Amino acid sequence: MFTVIRSKEAVLQALASTVNRDPTASDYRFQDDPYLTPKTSSEFKLFSLSQESGRNAAKYFISTYPKYFQKDYAQPHIPCLMPETLEAQIEEVSEAALIERIQMRKVKAAVDLYDQLQQAGTPVSLDVTNQLLDLICFYGDCDPAQENEDVQDEPQTKKGRASPCLVFSFRENNNAERIFALLSEPNTHSYSALIRGMVKYGAYSKAFSTYTDLLNNQLKADVSTFNALITAAPEVKEKYNEKWELIVDLLKQMAEQKVKPNLLTLNAVLKALRRCGTVGKSQAFPVISEMRALSIDPSLASYNHLLSIFYKPGAPFQGQTDILQEVMNEVSGKSFTPQDPDDAQFFITAVRICLDTKDIEQAYRVHELLGVGENWRLLGNDFQQNIYHARFFSLLCMMENIDVVLKWYRDLVPSVYYPSSNVMRDLLQVLDTDNRLDLIPQIWKDLKQLGHGNRQTLVEELLTLMAREKQNQEVQETFAECALDIKKMYDTGDRGKVMMSWTAGSLSDLVSVLLAAQRRQDAWEILKLFKTHNRVPSEELLDKFLTCIKESGDVNQALELVQISAGFCLPGTPKLIQRVQQEFLLSEQQNLSFQTHISHNKNSLLFTFSVSDTEKPVHAL
Amino acid sequence: MATSLVRKTKLLSMVSSQLNSAACFRNIHCTAACLKNRAARIRVAKGDKPVTYEQAYHPHHIGHRKGWLSQHTSNLQGEDGAAERVVEDVFIRRFMYGTFHGCLADEVVIKRRGNLLLICAVMIQKLLPSKFYFLIGYTEELLSHFYKCPVKIEMQTVEEKVVYKYL
Repeated sequence: MFTVIRSKEAVLQALASTVNRDPTASDYRFQDDPYLTPKTSSEFKLFSLSQESGRNAAKYFISTYPKYFQKDYAQPHIPCLMPETLEAQIEEVSEAALIERIQMRKVKAAVDLYDQLQQAGTPVSLDVTNQLLDLICFYGDCDPAQENEDVQDEPQTKKGRASPCLVFSFRENNNAERIFALLSEPNTHSYSALIRGMVKYGAYSKAFSTYTDLLNNQLKADVSTFNALITAAPEVKEKYNEKWELIVDLLKQMAEQKVKPNLLTLNAVLKALRRCGTVGKSQAFPVISEMRALSIDPSLASYNHLLSIFYKPGAPFQGQTDILQEVMNEVSGKSFTPQDPDDAQFFITAVRICLDTKDIEQAYRVHELLGVGENWRLLGNDFQQNIYHARFFSLLCMMENIDVVLKWYRDLVPSVYYPSSNVMRDLLQVLDTDNRLDLIPQIWKDLKQLGHGNRQTLVEELLTLMAREKQNQEVQETFAECALDIKKMYDTGDRGKVMMSWTAGSLSDLVSVLLAAQRRQDAWEILKLFKTHNRVPSEELLDKFLTCIKESGDVNQALELVQISAGFCLPGTPKLIQRVQQEFLLSEQQNLSFQTHISHNKNSLLFTFSVSDTEKPVHAL
Repeated sequence: MATSLVRKTKLLSMVSSQLNSAACFRNIHCTAACLKNRAARIRVAKGDKPVTYEQAYHPHHIGHRKGWLSQHTSNLQGEDGAAERVVEDVFIRRFMYGTFHGCLADEVVIKRRGNLLLICAVMIQKLLPSKFYFLIGYTEELLSHFYKCPVKIEMQTVEEKVVYKYL
């Protein structure tokens, strides 16, 4: 009785199932506790940011009081767990102090020290000056934002450690050019640093003139200089073929100077070709084959640029669908390492193209590629992951039937992806298309948990879908429960959440759902809400209600219904009155009171009809 | 004061040696008081004091009805560092008690795996989750830098302190 017969592979299957991602667990950063698991995307961001800010607070204490963290228990020594020195140690004006400041990335301090050294007359070696030029040109002549600084004090500088001063656009008398001019014999490295800095910060024509200077001094440029110039080429010329000719010219000079191109050269050329229109389309493949001949293998960034050349967003596609397929043939099954910053754009671009061309096969291949080896690292940060999953899921909703969609839904949500309300609306459409409206109450629960329970358009669509057709009894019961739950969302405006307002349509749908589930009492309560929220019920609704009342035979309610209808001055009131008189058995007293009501209302009806026939009256007399 | 003490002991030894030649000396015994029969025991009182499972069972129940709060290998044969582990544990417990003030529902359990220090704590849901995460990030980073080994926190939350019985 207690032995369970299991197949021979049961243990192996159980072990194998532990290897994949667990769809019921949240991200690895968070604690495994229901109270501490994020349920919406805003909670995800909040919790990960607060954990990060806790770490920054600890780093502040460690760097402010380093003497308590000096004792070294670790064998072998772990350098990253020692306190880092933020202040420069060497005080005197010397070359070693300059080197130290360069290593600590203190741009302004390094430049000041260099000036002091020049004034004191101490010669600074070319290597160190080149390092200083590198530093200035990389950070754009201003200090990288320190983590402890209050970034709100500088509204102009962009937040972030890598490229702080995008406002800075290589001013006229900046330090880089000045120090460069002071050099007696600039070498390749100096020119390279200056040109790359100019290209990074937008001074494209200056970069090209500096390059001409370099050629006039009979120096050779190195590969990174050429990469920077190729990146700058589309900016300095206007027409497509001129841009391409400039790039070809640069590549020829590279060959003359015997400089070997590398992967970044290929990516720079392809990125420039994106700006070259039709020329780009014709030249992209030849470029890749030439680079292959030089044994430079394209990385994901190259494929990304290639796809962007052929699939411009928003442009119509004519017979280009095979390019994505060819690219996927190339990359499927391979594991890539990050070699170029644009590698992270590949998956987003690929899935965007699949979404635009409605190609579900390729989308599955793209998703499969994500599971190969280390490729998951190339999906990008949280924001990019969200975009990827949103596009992938929208494509699924568009193309696949409900079972497949639900399988992916349970796999991705909410462990990896928190859908937005638009995507949830796509999901509702799939339910509608495949006639699985009985799943609506479950989806409503998920919606509430994801924080979309107070989005008016979404909720109204839910109500419309539920009210459209009459379902079988059990489903109708669940619908009624769900509808009452939705009503609660309208009532409670708890904790400053966005309040939803009732419309005539949503109220009518709610009443229809409740009536279809034979919940007359609840429906009656809702009907009263029409008056409180200043909305007018439709005639069909009141007709339906009357039919429902007739089944129970409650005459008083019928009379009240007629009163309500008259209260709204609906043009269908006489028909209602007629129906009540025909279908219900009225006692004498009820008949009398009814007649008085009719005459009273006839006057009011006449009054309203004389005003305008088409205008729907909102206020009773 | 020291000289007077010396004089007194000299007096004492002189007197005792004079009194009795076959002298049996009684020396003053000075150690710290251990109070082994009062440690970690909450005595039975009126019946209104809530007590958790950990507090309710006395130290002789460790290994029988309770587990160990600190798990490391330095008490095995041939391993050293037991005293250092104890000092680290004391510091970590005080640190957790102070950082998550008023939130600890029960004693902190400290596990060591390789060079990873795993701090397992049960918390009351007194703070918002974002504040918990702030303190978790802060604790992990600070203790990692302090002890030069990776420190991870595993946290579980309960709504209120789990009472085992009232003593």
